[in-house]
Amino acid sequence: MSQSYNRGLIEDFGRWREFSAGMWAWIFHKFTGWVLVGYLFTHIAVLSTALSGAAPYTNTIQALESLLVVRILEVGLLAVAVFHILNGLRLLFVDLGVGLEAQDKSFYASLILTGVIVVASVPTFLAGVSI
Amino acid sequence: MAERYTSFEPGGTRWLWQRLTAAFLVIVLAFHFFLLHFVNHADEVTFAMSQARMQELTYFSLMILFLVTATFHGVNGVYNALVNQGLSGSRKTAVKAILGIASLVLIVQGVRTAIAWAGGVPI
Amino acid sequence: MSTQVPEQVEDESSAESVSPGKQKRDAKKRERAERLQEQREAEAAEKARTADDTYHLKVFRYDPEVEGKQEPRFDDFYVPYKQGMTVLDALMWARDHYDSSLTFRHSCRQAICGSDALFVNGSQRLGCKTQLSDLSEPVRVEPLPHADVVKDLVVDMEHFYDQMEAVEPYFQTNSLPAEDEEQRQTRENREKVKMSTRCIWCSACMSSCNIAAGDNEYLGPAAINKAYRFAMDEREGEDMKQRRLEILEQEHGVWRCQTQFSCTEVCPKDIPLTEHIQELKREAIKNNLKFW
Repeated sequence: MSQSYNRGLIEDFGRWREFSAGMWAWIFHKFTGWVLVGYLFTHIAVLSTALSGAAPYTNTIQALESLLVVRILEVGLLAVAVFHILNGLRLLFVDLGVGLEAQDKSFYASLILTGVIVVASVPTFLAGVSI
Repeated sequence: MAERYTSFEPGGTRWLWQRLTAAFLVIVLAFHFFLLHFVNHADEVTFAMSQARMQELTYFSLMILFLVTATFHGVNGVYNALVNQGLSGSRKTAVKAILGIASLVLIVQGVRTAIAWAGGVPI
Repeated sequence: MSTQVPEQVEDESSAESVSPGKQKRDAKKRERAERLQEQREAEAAEKARTADDTYHLKVFRYDPEVEGKQEPRFDDFYVPYKQGMTVLDALMWARDHYDSSLTFRHSCRQAICGSDALFVNGSQRLGCKTQLSDLSEPVRVEPLPHADVVKDLVVDMEHFYDQMEAVEPYFQTNSLPAEDEEQRQTRENREKVKMSTRCIWCSACMSSCNIAAGDNEYLGPAAINKAYRFAMDEREGEDMKQRRLEILEQEHGVWRCQTQFSCTEVCPKDIPLTEHIQELKREAIKNNLKFW
């Protein structure tokens, strides 16, 4: 072999239109995972305002929660968390060797269920916010 | 590949713990969201309410366990993602160290906050 | 249509001995003949393009040794369709009628040798096992992704074979039967390893695996399935199973599998690869828990 040709990234994400259910499930699970771990760090950072006393904490949280952007981001967070939970359950079953033939259907089911739960939660998540 | 034979390779241990923490987190994260968004509403959060919850030993210890498992699950997930992308050698060691320190900082900060709320460990 | 580098075959040695007039006439004649030839080729190509019973193939071309082909490109081939024609049949027709330099690996043409795994319309398939009638046109034929291309549709399989070798893909045992006995396997045990024995080393699964693409040390689905075939074979005995699990439970063994199911979906022999990998993960865990 004298030389060879490497086709680079075009073989991976350039082909997203051809991805199958299992691949999408993996991509969404990774993406939601990154978001959640990022949130975990910011969450603890915001909560640790409690270290400087009751008033600073209450003020910080209430100031944040009164912003519409924060509420919308929270709905996004809920979507991310619910998907990660439901697809996580799917993956636990896959790890136990249960229902591997239906892995694509269980992925679609977790997507739909995520959508339903998120839409149903929007009123609760936006309650009492001043626009 | 396959030049090193050891009887116990941590790859399997971490895989197992990732699943065990997952099973725990599925329940606790759902509970966490439910309690803090549906039972208690976002616009009504005050220091006093968090304080009241945290002074319960059960709730306090559940939250500490939640923090530790979530940190492990999240950071281990990040590490796995990087190894899957072919991270190796000294960069792998460096990443491992950084992630380890970050986890430790996160857990310490979380525990300090929980103790601040509870006003000491509620025993 | 032809993609060969134009040949420079000019007969000039005989030109000196003939009169200038004849030379001129000959040149004119040749020119006319060439024009006619070009016209005929264009007509044939046009006919093939518009005919109902042809298939339009777009084939990846690359050859580092030929100047005009160092930059990868796609060539169009219009192949007359016959009932039952496979992608491999079409490629062979194109090679035989249009461009003899079109290069691809193939041998048995019946999904046994595992030579002609290709990337057809966005997924890994065996050329000989894929009916043209199941594909939408144009049929895009490319070499397997996540492997270096050597020429046209041929990829370098060395890494794949290395990973296969790493799991010791052959029967080994410490408990041989008595002198005049056969090495019998129970029907149940045979049934258990049945699907895993079907692997033809075509590398379609390895090529489809996103993790194998990123982590070069990952054993990959084919090698793990091969290990499964022997680890689950009861005739190899406990010692050997232990040895096999030790290979598999390294960091770049079974744990890297992310259950994307890509391999299971592309396997031309319908081997439940993900299921086998998952079972080996559980075996490895159970095996380690025993020591605690």
